[in-house]
Amino acid sequence: MNVPASPPAGAGDPPQVEVDGLFRAFGGVPAVRDVSFTVGAGEIHALCGHNGAGKSTVVKMLSGQLVPDAGRIIIGGAPVEVRSPQQAQRLGIALVDQELSVVPSLTVRDNLLLGDISTPMVNRRRAAAARCRQVLNDLGLDRISPDQPLSTLSMGERQLVEIARALSQHARLLILDEPTATLSDVETEHVFAAVRRAAAQGCAVVYVSHRLAEVLELCDTVTVLRDGRRIATTPAERLTVDELIVQMLGEAPHRLGPARAPDPQLTHALRIEHLHVPGRLDDFSLTAAAGRVYALAGQLGSGAADVLRALAGLHPNAVGRVTLRDRGVPFRSPVGAARAGVAFVSNDRKSEGLFLDKTIADNLVATRLPALSRAGVVHGPRERRAAGMLAELAGLPARRLAEPVVALSGGNQQRVLVGRCLGREDVFVLLLDEPTRGVDVGGRAAIHRLLRAAADAGLIVLFASTELEELLELGDVIITMREGRMIDRYEGGTDGAVLMRDMTHGSRTA
Amino acid sequence: MTAANSDHREAAAAARAEEPRPGGGGATAAGRLRWRRPEPLDIGIAVAVLAIVVAGAMTSRFFSLDNGRAILASTASVGITAIGATLVMIAGSAVSLAVSQTATVVAMIFLSTQRLGLTVAIVLALVCGAAVTALQGAIIGFWTANPIVLTIAAGFAIGGVATWISGGATVYPKGTGYKSLDSTPLGLPLAVYVLIGLALLAEWMLRRTTAGRQMYLIGENLPAARAAGLPVGRIVVIAWALFGACIALTGIFLASFNTSANADLGGTLSLDAIAAVLVGGTAIGGGSGSALRTLGGAVLIAAISDLLLLRGFSTGLQLLVKGILVLIVVIAVHLRATRGRR
Amino acid sequence: MIRRLISRPERLVPAASFLVVAVALAATPAMSGERLTTFDIRNALQGFAQLGLVALGLGLTMIAREFDLSVVGTYALGGMLAVQTGKSSAVLGVLVAVGAGAAIGAVQGGLIARLRLPSLPVTLGTYIALLGLTSAMSGGLSKTYTNSGATEWVDRTVLVVFSPRSLGTLAAFVIAALVLGGTKLGRELRAIGGDRRAARVAGVRVERALVGLFTVSGALAALGGALLSYSYASANPNQGLQPLILSAVAVLLGGVSLAGGRGLPIGLLAGALSVAFIAQIVAITALPDYSTELLYAALLMVVVAIDAPGLRQAVDRVKARATSTPSHQHHSP
Repeated sequence: MNVPASPPAGAGDPPQVEVDGLFRAFGGVPAVRDVSFTVGAGEIHALCGHNGAGKSTVVKMLSGQLVPDAGRIIIGGAPVEVRSPQQAQRLGIALVDQELSVVPSLTVRDNLLLGDISTPMVNRRRAAAARCRQVLNDLGLDRISPDQPLSTLSMGERQLVEIARALSQHARLLILDEPTATLSDVETEHVFAAVRRAAAQGCAVVYVSHRLAEVLELCDTVTVLRDGRRIATTPAERLTVDELIVQMLGEAPHRLGPARAPDPQLTHALRIEHLHVPGRLDDFSLTAAAGRVYALAGQLGSGAADVLRALAGLHPNAVGRVTLRDRGVPFRSPVGAARAGVAFVSNDRKSEGLFLDKTIADNLVATRLPALSRAGVVHGPRERRAAGMLAELAGLPARRLAEPVVALSGGNQQRVLVGRCLGREDVFVLLLDEPTRGVDVGGRAAIHRLLRAAADAGLIVLFASTELEELLELGDVIITMREGRMIDRYEGGTDGAVLMRDMTHGSRTA
Repeated sequence: MTAANSDHREAAAAARAEEPRPGGGGATAAGRLRWRRPEPLDIGIAVAVLAIVVAGAMTSRFFSLDNGRAILASTASVGITAIGATLVMIAGSAVSLAVSQTATVVAMIFLSTQRLGLTVAIVLALVCGAAVTALQGAIIGFWTANPIVLTIAAGFAIGGVATWISGGATVYPKGTGYKSLDSTPLGLPLAVYVLIGLALLAEWMLRRTTAGRQMYLIGENLPAARAAGLPVGRIVVIAWALFGACIALTGIFLASFNTSANADLGGTLSLDAIAAVLVGGTAIGGGSGSALRTLGGAVLIAAISDLLLLRGFSTGLQLLVKGILVLIVVIAVHLRATRGRR
Repeated sequence: MIRRLISRPERLVPAASFLVVAVALAATPAMSGERLTTFDIRNALQGFAQLGLVALGLGLTMIAREFDLSVVGTYALGGMLAVQTGKSSAVLGVLVAVGAGAAIGAVQGGLIARLRLPSLPVTLGTYIALLGLTSAMSGGLSKTYTNSGATEWVDRTVLVVFSPRSLGTLAAFVIAALVLGGTKLGRELRAIGGDRRAARVAGVRVERALVGLFTVSGALAALGGALLSYSYASANPNQGLQPLILSAVAVLLGGVSLAGGRGLPIGLLAGALSVAFIAQIVAITALPDYSTELLYAALLMVVVAIDAPGLRQAVDRVKARATSTPSHQHHSP
């Protein structure tokens, strides 16, 4: 959609985009409550907030992926209803989704043109080539040929291609949801330049990011959301990172309590030495003692999750040395890792965690069937006892054991997934990636209790999270990570603001 | 599609789940059958069975002992393979297109080794069928090769080698031991007893053994099974090896029945077996299904064909009805599986 | 360079297989002792015409990560319909066949796209039903086609090695290449096969494209069947799975992956030609029949190896272990 470039916003211009009293609930739980803000033409407007603050829900309503329960979206003075990606494009809205939405098997050029309603049915090779070249150069991708398959590009470059696609649609409203999570500093710099150029041409930009230093560098205005409500809208030049963190977290940042001393009776330890995953994780080392909870604090792309995935055998190209109780862990295969006593809970419990159509009982015993069997035959009474014991341990009502897991709430599903790893004599290390993603407050406390109990029972618990409260509440030792490297290690004596700084502060202002 | 959408669905599912379910009481073990509200699929099957009963009552000779025997006899060879195919489909490998060739080769091996005695010939045939098919399973399970491409290649290789060795000629038995397999105790072919025994055995294995239970898990969610450290490769190999043994049994019975084996012996076995599994309500994506239901599917197909035959309809029409039956069941199974998540 | 080629199997696989087969064909005189004649080439192209259209339809659906088993059913039905309705006018017969094929494809595509059904079992059901329908139409027997004018015309020699049938098949590939290469449809097709979610987010109308795709695949298969029965002057109600398997081989050698998102019509053309040439090579050199099957098996195993993600992971694992070993000696206390 080619919207003629309007002059940059002056004082008297009406706002390009107006969000008025948006409200949206999921299953009766409000995720966004009465959120209003305006973005002028040429303005770069940041949406900040802690996890679950409602940023993504607002973005999804703006881009037509969700319909608001109440409230209006006004673009260019007219209230609009966005119902499909095509319609969003017709209204001049371009989105860089939080999830990478480019197709690896296509070439760069095809990805740039994909789904753009303004591209003609018949390809105009020369015009498209010139345009692609231009858009790529604008993002510093001079070295990339438009004819290259996307699969030959790095993850960061792929993200840049998606950003390029959104920029090339000449939208009136450009939404970028965590666009720089997987990008290097140089790449980020190019994205900023391109976003500024788009804004200079009169485009309104909504920018969502966890990297607070970046936000202050790039954006004109910052709206902070907390618990689905708008807390403040402030011009960026009047804010510092610390003030922004206070706005996001509220007045009383949590503090990390004193670390528990390792239990001298539990001597076994997990030693990770120089763990390296090409392109994701650099030289990670840690010695974790039994009975303690180790927290990896890091945003998407920080490498925190990759530590866990590598240990669980899901990065076959990981390099390094891992020993558990002085025995080597064959950590490049999931079967080997499991056999060595490592249990892994994925952050994606639907596609990589649970067996959704199977019953709760089935899921609880899924990984321990051999232990419940004699000569390969599952011992019925033993299986029922195990399922009942685990349900009790995980706090699930025994009468629901025969229900399919898909019928449970997110919190209860997560209890099943965590419960599956508990009460086993052959598991020594529990790895959890985002242990309470999509879990409500009550469920969260229950899962934290479960994990603490597991540590008390002698397990080594290692989890990755982006949520400060969770990190502070649960971690005995907190390791902050950014861009594939360890930043710092805390045993007590820290608070949310410090962690947030480590996790979000782009290195160029650090 | 989007995280928020799935959250929404999840919340809705959770809201639904808070209401007590009609049959949800009592903590039954995972493998046990549970009572549940009639599903569209169950209703559909009930209607189909009722229709057959009614039409059968109006057709002379349909409800006769002889006809019952005929139906079962015609079910046997496809049914035995279908039982094996059920295991593989439950474990998530969709289909094999090398079934006909494998059955043919096994039949040739069986007939040409007759002079070593019946037992040796049977064991040899079973081992060959299981080994060849397990090898395919290994490539699928350990390398995540695509089962369709791989089994097409395997079909060519098996068929090619068989023609090479046999010289393309029909193989005749060098002994008479096989004849005892063609006997009909109590008026039913031996193959029918084997089919029923196998179905029960497979059902027990699926529900009560570690390997069987893990087949369901791997088939339902392969990434989850992998992340949980389940021995995916090994279980897939076991499923395929058992499938191979079932194909081999079919080959053995086909050989004894025809008293010779040539390249066309396998015929349309590949797809007939898949049709029986699908009509039995096993989902092509894996993770659900049962050997007994496959047996039911095979009998249902045979009964309908028989009924149409008795009423004088052509084989063409029988095929047409069978195809439509497959379509209806596939759609019903799919709608039931996704109902809770849309 | 090699890495780059391997990273684009949609070019590498068809180019390599066509090259190997073409060289082998050129080398046949060395084995048979006789010169390669235009007759041999013409025969190979007739073989190509026999499976080309089905392979094209199957290949297009496979690029979009669907598998249309029903093409063999539509192939048989198209042949039967053309023979039965095209007695007086061959063109009418073809039109009826193509129309029926397209309608069947559209209904099937609609079901698969709207209900998000897996295509394999649905098309299997359709395949069985269509075989039954075809067989019921002919009473289970082959039907003779009496319009000998049409039979002679479709196989008439044109331009030394071609016939109207092989030229028409070639034209279908060229049209497909032009449409997919020259319009945004090609991009959308590969995007749907490569990552359906991303395609939707980007604004591709996935459902509509799928319905169109199955319609085209049905129409192509029916056209192939109609031309085949004109050529044979008879329609066979059941040709078994052989046409499907050979087409699938052609598609896979054409560089299309069952994992979707990959493939070019020109690659499909090379794949179909490879399969036809292999059959011709075996015929010329009087090699035993089974060598065709063994050749197909060997070529397909290469495709399997290229496409198996688990194999690549296993290679990664071995490599990582190799790089790990020296460093771990270095670091260990």
